Amino acid sequence: MKEIFLTFAKIGLTGFGGGMAIVALVERICVREKQWIDSEEFLHGLAFGQILGPFSLNVCTFTGHHLRGIRGGVTAAVGFILPSFLLVSLLSWLYFTYNKLPQLQAALKGTNPVVIGLIVVVAIDMGRKQIKGYNGMLMALVAFAATVFFKLNAAWVLLAAAVWSLCMCIYRRRHC
Amino acid sequence: MTSLFSLAWIYFRIGLIFVGGGYVLIPLLNHIMVEKYQWLSQRQFLDGLALSQLTPGPLAMLATFTGFRAAGFLGGLVATVFIFVPCVVLMLVVGRNYARMKNIDLIKNTLDGLLPAVVGLVAAAAWNLGASSLSGAKEFITLAVGFALFKWTKVNPMLVILGAGMVGLLLN
Repeated sequence: MKEIFLTFAKIGLTGFGGGMAIVALVERICVREKQWIDSEEFLHGLAFGQILGPFSLNVCTFTGHHLRGIRGGVTAAVGFILPSFLLVSLLSWLYFTYNKLPQLQAALKGTNPVVIGLIVVVAIDMGRKQIKGYNGMLMALVAFAATVFFKLNAAWVLLAAAVWSLCMCIYRRRHC
Repeated sequence: MTSLFSLAWIYFRIGLIFVGGGYVLIPLLNHIMVEKYQWLSQRQFLDGLALSQLTPGPLAMLATFTGFRAAGFLGGLVATVFIFVPCVVLMLVVGRNYARMKNIDLIKNTLDGLLPAVVGLVAAAAWNLGASSLSGAKEFITLAVGFALFKWTKVNPMLVILGAGMVGLLLN
């Protein structure tokens, strides 16, 4: 148990680069180095991990569960999140305590546009990969318009998209 | 101060619709934090995004930041725990039964099918954040440089954000 916790805490501490970079790190440590889980099962975990939540966390939970059941899964998840949680808490505390400092204000003025740039890049890259055909394009445009021009809550847009997508899947299953 | 119970409930619900990777949280949290409860200004929300990109954790660490704002350290803790409860529970259930769950094509396809809407939502978040926080040529140039770095180079996002902070410090 202690080893599970420490291993995933180490991954959580060093896994800079997010998402896929972390999955690759978990794969290297848990599949190849420690041979805790074989690669086929790891891939299944990865596939399921895309259903809900961040898949970096999900593959950690899945691997931990594979080793020691529910307690192992929870241990791995906590180990993975804890370093980032402490770091963000510290940064948040510093931020809300010192955010009147002109130096900090100036530095953050520099980061703000860059963060928006990052979101734009994410939207473009995801769009390239995920939008295929007219249906996808239409969905993306409607979702965009609904939030920007009609100020709809993103959660409702997401639910509507899920219902639409489910209907499409059932329709295709019946007719193909 | 917001009660920890209502905080837990809010983040739990976000955790339930946390699909398509972490970026969908940007529009979801932005709506709740900035527009609905007004715990943060649009600027602070962006600052929090920058801070959560400085850690190795998923983008969901934004929950820690916003929870911290709403109710201090405990708020951050509650937000972080509850936003992850749904996906951890799901993975544990999957881990236990996954031999019997190979037949989840319908769920998988449905989720794949809604991803274009996630793209639209993420683009809308960029639009809304940009419209309310960008002003002046300097900021648009910074945005363009950041965009180019993220798009065409493999530089670590953390370094880009730290670099942007330095530039901001020197320019302003």
